[in-house]
Amino acid sequence: MHEMQVVEIKKIIKETKRIKTFILDLDVSAIPGQFVMVWLPGVDEKPMSVSYTKGDLGITVLRLGDFTRRLFELSPGDVLGIRGPMGRGFKVYGDKLLLVGGGVGVAPLAPLAEEALRDGKEVTAIIGAITKSELLFVDRIERAGGRVLISTDDGSAGKKGFTTDVLRELLEEETFDQCFTCGPEIMMAKVLDITREKNIPTQASLHRYFKCGIGICGQCVLDGIGLRVCKEGPTFRDKELRKSPEFGRYWRNAAGQKIYFGGKK
Amino acid sequence: MLEVELCGIKLRNPTMLASGILGTSGAALKRVALSGGAGAIVTKSIGLTPREGHRNPTVVEINGGLISAIGLANPGYEEFGDEIRVAKEGGVPVIGSVYGFNFAEYAAVAETLQKYGVDAIELNISYPNVGKAGAFFGYSEELSHEVVKEVKKRVSLPVFAKLTAGAGDIVAIAKACEEAGADAITAIGALRAMKIDLITGKPVLGNEVGGLSGPCIKPIALRCVYEIAREVDIPVIGCGGITTGEDAVEFFLAGAKAVQIGTAVLYRGITVFKKVSQEIKEYLEENGYCSVDEIVGLALR
Repeated sequence: MHEMQVVEIKKIIKETKRIKTFILDLDVSAIPGQFVMVWLPGVDEKPMSVSYTKGDLGITVLRLGDFTRRLFELSPGDVLGIRGPMGRGFKVYGDKLLLVGGGVGVAPLAPLAEEALRDGKEVTAIIGAITKSELLFVDRIERAGGRVLISTDDGSAGKKGFTTDVLRELLEEETFDQCFTCGPEIMMAKVLDITREKNIPTQASLHRYFKCGIGICGQCVLDGIGLRVCKEGPTFRDKELRKSPEFGRYWRNAAGQKIYFGGKK
Repeated sequence: MLEVELCGIKLRNPTMLASGILGTSGAALKRVALSGGAGAIVTKSIGLTPREGHRNPTVVEINGGLISAIGLANPGYEEFGDEIRVAKEGGVPVIGSVYGFNFAEYAAVAETLQKYGVDAIELNISYPNVGKAGAFFGYSEELSHEVVKEVKKRVSLPVFAKLTAGAGDIVAIAKACEEAGADAITAIGALRAMKIDLITGKPVLGNEVGGLSGPCIKPIALRCVYEIAREVDIPVIGCGGITTGEDAVEFFLAGAKAVQIGTAVLYRGITVFKKVSQEIKEYLEENGYCSVDEIVGLALR
């Protein structure tokens, strides 16, 4: 049973101008890629992927709408309701791993990198952001012993362009046992196209509007494959996602209507 | 052995997906039919216009069940044709659940779902968490009668009325629906309940109040089915906390022709329909019965 626990915020770390990490007084172990439902009493409840998976649990959040704006107003000692960790995390089986993260999508990839490096795996991470000051967890992954390649939309750090540009160049010279990606869905869809050409099995972490978070309301079911993002996901295998006409194209709003990425049909 | 016939609709087994669970998209409904093993699937309740429903938290787990207040979220009837088409690929009867804020809405949506090819209509006059929709009608004999009558005028398909135990006299409501032409009664929907968090001192659900479902409401649902089946001649479909084959058998003995399963998806997964069907079969075999029909209403005799 996923009973809601109301816990204190222990520490808040300002990662970038728009991204904060909240370390919670909640000592539970999560698998990188799993999520928690975060309740802001009187406001709303949203899914957030876990960015610190061992010891005190942490979430890393981009300020985007009303919910995250209210979350950003909180201080250590304030409380949040937490359900989880829930869902299917990333599954590592190879030795040479490639991570591709865009924006706040690096959040679940950072603990994955740390755990893999601790287990003696080789980790390369491609991290992208709109600009240098919005890059997330570059130091954290480097400190853990990973290699980091950077892209920024404006060229203020690393390669000017997108993570997929760096990915394409990298895969001309090297190959990997597995790839893990999280970020904007259009980016992830491109990552899957590129790694498919190179036969690199890839897992992607999806974001959808969640209601129940426990697999019964049907809000987050992916078309074509009928899999629930909150239960069989949020991480999926490339071969699963390729069977869904929804992946990379649209999501469903709270009413269940299709909303196309980039506004086009 | 498990086949049943409900208002002329043949079901391969008597387990149906209850409305409101996994029913927002065709892909989900199809999966419940194909891998879940349900004998029929009921869609999420569909209305005239798209609704986002209540804000989160919309579901909270408690001992013995769930309290939920999704708030009749649905994409609206115009967009739902595609979902019905995909749902029908599951190969089992699809029942379109309908809610409305007035009689005309119920009738218009039911008529459209019939056009989309559903096998029956289930009128949601049981949902307790949106002001003047759903249970607003199901609390009153007159309003229940009117909804059924107006819908029956517009559709030729079998029409089920899903009732709430929140009504003062559920048997009277069932009779009113029968008199208005309902072809079956589904009993019961979730019951109004709430949960308050001790640390924040606040109601947990975004809507503050929600509908209680799961094993904790089973005895109430069973009592309702028993009392209704004793008084009406149309089939009764049992719904409320059914989690195992033994639960389902209790409902058959109380007079239900079929059962709906919802919250148990949380406890036993999407294949709960297969599991419950197998358990019903084992009960029938062990007790020397050849069909579900043989035990329907035994407790009433």
